[in-house]
Amino acid sequence: MIRAFAILAVMALLGISGSGGAFAQTIGFADAIKILHSSCGADIEKYCKNVNLGNNRIQQCLQKNEANVSDQCKADYAGVYVMLQKRFAAQEAVTKVCDRDIQQLCKLVKQGKGHVLNCLLKAEPSVSDKCNQAITDAGYR
Amino acid sequence: MKKIAFTAAGAIALALFSQTAATGQTKLSRNEIINSLRDAEVQVKVNADDLRAQALQNIKQHPGDNATTSLPLSEQLAKLRQFNVEITFDFDSDRIRPESYETIGLIADALHTPYLWGQTFFVVGHTDAKGKREYNLELSQRRANAIREALVTTFRVPEGQLEAVGLGEEDLRDPQKPDSEINRRVQLINVGF
Repeated sequence: MIRAFAILAVMALLGISGSGGAFAQTIGFADAIKILHSSCGADIEKYCKNVNLGNNRIQQCLQKNEANVSDQCKADYAGVYVMLQKRFAAQEAVTKVCDRDIQQLCKLVKQGKGHVLNCLLKAEPSVSDKCNQAITDAGYR
Repeated sequence: MKKIAFTAAGAIALALFSQTAATGQTKLSRNEIINSLRDAEVQVKVNADDLRAQALQNIKQHPGDNATTSLPLSEQLAKLRQFNVEITFDFDSDRIRPESYETIGLIADALHTPYLWGQTFFVVGHTDAKGKREYNLELSQRRANAIREALVTTFRVPEGQLEAVGLGEEDLRDPQKPDSEINRRVQLINVGF
């Protein structure tokens, strides 16, 4: 799935998918699944009737049936895939982007990413735009 | 009467949690889940194995159509930060229905926020009292396992943060109405750091 649909992901990046920028920059799992449920729900019920959600089995099933899966499902899957990857990247990047803010505002907070981020969330009005944006992109707000 | 009721129950029997689409349910939000689960105050020592063992023990020690006693741990669990959700499954199966994918996604999004990082949660599956107790216990455990599996694989929640427990009909939400669908639910319980 990941490999075959990675091609689609590239297509989406190049704007070939045709699903036309209707999505926000990054996306959470619930919104991702909502889009996929509406675009791929019929395909899932048709081709993956006995497949459960865990271990990426639904994605693998859709991949296996790629030839039959609707274009809408493929296109939206690609778009959603890109936005999820962006969110994961944003989550990875937060502490780096927010380094200065952490030094300035959350220096005395208990160690651990959770405590530091909770501090940044509370200090939102004093936090730099760049860091606030990173926190938003990471879906932490 | 009893006999007819029981046959009817047999037919729909083991519709755990909710088989049917919820009627007029208000829309669930990620923040609702976060706010119900965050800021766990009590430091608790509950063990998922103990909880599972108590449910099994309850059936062995107090056999009969329905549970008549509550689990020793349930009072303690009731004090913890928690949230009830409805997840629907295929009949008699642990396959999560696609209409519940979004709910699982919301739970994942909530667990991925700093408000809930590093805390441990029980995913507890419950049935109503229709059907056999042992069967309900087993199916609810498989369903709780399926939810946990989806969360820790597809939705990237750290494995150590989640325990799946099926309690069947051993911890009814409304013991006055044992067959009511109000009893079918998935409880997310914050058991702390």
